[in-house]
Amino acid sequence: MRKYWPFMLLFAMVVLPLFLGLAPNLDLGFFSYYYFLNLGFITFVFVAQAVAWNILGGYGGQISFGYSAFFGLGAYTTAVLWGMYHWPMVLTFPVAGLVGVIFAIIIGLPTFRLTGPYFSIATLGIGEAMRVLMLNINSLGGASGMNLPTTIPGKMWFYYAGLILVSGTLAVSAWVRQSKFGLALFALNMDQNAAASLGVNVALYKNLAHMLGAFIVGMSGGLYATYFQYIHPDQVFGFQASISLVLMPVIGGVGTLWGPVLGGTIYYFLEDTLLSSLPSLHLLVYGVLLVLIIVLEPNGLLGMAARVQRWWRARQKEHTVAFPDAGKGALP
Amino acid sequence: MAYTSQDLLTVLVAAVLTAGIYAAMSYGLSIIYGVMKIINLSNAGVMMLGAFTTFELFRRAHMDPFLASLIVFVFYFSLGLVMYRLLVRRVVTSPPISSLLLLFGVWLVIQNIAILIWGNQDESILSKYTFATVSVLGLPVSVTRLVVFFVSIVALGLVYFFLTHTYTGMAIRATAQNRDAARLVGIDVEKSFMIAFALGTALAAFAGSLLSTIYSFNPDFGRVFQLKSFSIIVLGGLESLPGVAIGAIILSFIESLSIFVMRASMQNFLAFTILVVALVVLPNGVAGLWQRGRG
Repeated sequence: MRKYWPFMLLFAMVVLPLFLGLAPNLDLGFFSYYYFLNLGFITFVFVAQAVAWNILGGYGGQISFGYSAFFGLGAYTTAVLWGMYHWPMVLTFPVAGLVGVIFAIIIGLPTFRLTGPYFSIATLGIGEAMRVLMLNINSLGGASGMNLPTTIPGKMWFYYAGLILVSGTLAVSAWVRQSKFGLALFALNMDQNAAASLGVNVALYKNLAHMLGAFIVGMSGGLYATYFQYIHPDQVFGFQASISLVLMPVIGGVGTLWGPVLGGTIYYFLEDTLLSSLPSLHLLVYGVLLVLIIVLEPNGLLGMAARVQRWWRARQKEHTVAFPDAGKGALP
Repeated sequence: MAYTSQDLLTVLVAAVLTAGIYAAMSYGLSIIYGVMKIINLSNAGVMMLGAFTTFELFRRAHMDPFLASLIVFVFYFSLGLVMYRLLVRRVVTSPPISSLLLLFGVWLVIQNIAILIWGNQDESILSKYTFATVSVLGLPVSVTRLVVFFVSIVALGLVYFFLTHTYTGMAIRATAQNRDAARLVGIDVEKSFMIAFALGTALAAFAGSLLSTIYSFNPDFGRVFQLKSFSIIVLGGLESLPGVAIGAIILSFIESLSIFVMRASMQNFLAFTILVVALVVLPNGVAGLWQRGRG
């Protein structure tokens, strides 16, 4: 039973909009049909990115602050191919992913050869550098951003596209976890030198994980661009995008399969409901959250849940030991 | 557009003067990395706080900005001690992911607090020096830049003296070389970490304070300079003062000369490009090239 709950969750996600679609104009306040589709799509895109980040950042322990570069490049690739060259929309997404991969190679090749924090340092500047570059390329809209065609499918289409993206990403992440590839990532996360001395090609696996993440984030950038029909360097290459990508897995639990899903869902919910009313406290809340998580429970919410579970079990056990006759009909 | 040799000379003088402050702002990062092997992402926030503290001292107490920078140094040294005791201490021996994320969080908090206090607009310090110039080699040079250059060099010299000629400084350097060996010979490694972190923090704030007399600043002011600092210390091989100085000179010259060929707004892209190129070509920095030549 336990093993099947991801599929049950997927089934629920597939069926729920169909069910709600029976009465699209029914407004349950918080939970109207269109709101649900919109929330669903954006959460899926965010979660897919978080899961993708987690492959390199969580399994491999290589923190990147620059995934917004892939996101933005994906968005711009789709915008150019679809908006300027009139490709079929769906075909642009894999290309958007590939552009991300190429960029990932450009960043990864020099930085992953070295031990030490070079990769994280370099990624800090990637998003910013791309943003500045894009603001200055006038043929791609420059500082006024780019409008995309408005001939897009309905919200339902996007909901399912997002669902496919996130399920695919999770399947890939689950596969990585149990594969030799994942094992190599876990090993180099624990001790890079030890892993290398046991024959793990450290640089290769880091690059592969980086490319995989870049592909998924690039595709999600393309999807995002078509949904909103407008992109701007500040938005898709912004610091905010990179921060959120780091925060989601950290909140949920770095290096776990479901942590980023949990973190992404909570993150977007926080962002959408609570923080939209407090825009001036955004960074403060995120910063405090990060500091608290690292100081108190580096494994995030899942780590906290495991801790509670352990505590609960220990308590149960204590009870049974202290009162061996408990519940055995002490009362007449 | 035609440029005269006069233009070139002006740019070169400006580059030298900028290199001084670049070295000062990067050395803190380099010390902390060298000793504790952590990347201090909160550097950007502290730099910005240094600038705003100077601004407040100047605006409210009408203090000379250069005098204020000394107070900033002392104050942020203490703040660094507090930050170390409260937070950084817990992540020194953890995997790098913890310290990166922790200090990143601290940076976000600092930045947001600054936005709450000072808002998002640009501020600047207009003191009696701001528009004054003196003549160097027949060129008009801003007094502020000149003073900032000399103050940076003196500060770097003092820090370097502290690290090479005092017991605590030498203990810090020993810890940087090998913390286990340092512990074995009786050095209080924990104390070395604390002083090094505080010193790095203080240098960042001090540099921010000096930068505030030249540039306008807002709560996001540290980010650009942090990226430049990273480029500099990577160019310099992460851990040595001569390396940092060379890195600062290279970055500042390339940046200054680039205005002949590209838009000034592209300078941030340049710092990043230099960073990546440096990682490809000189993984151990310019100093590494020197060692490779000798070895």
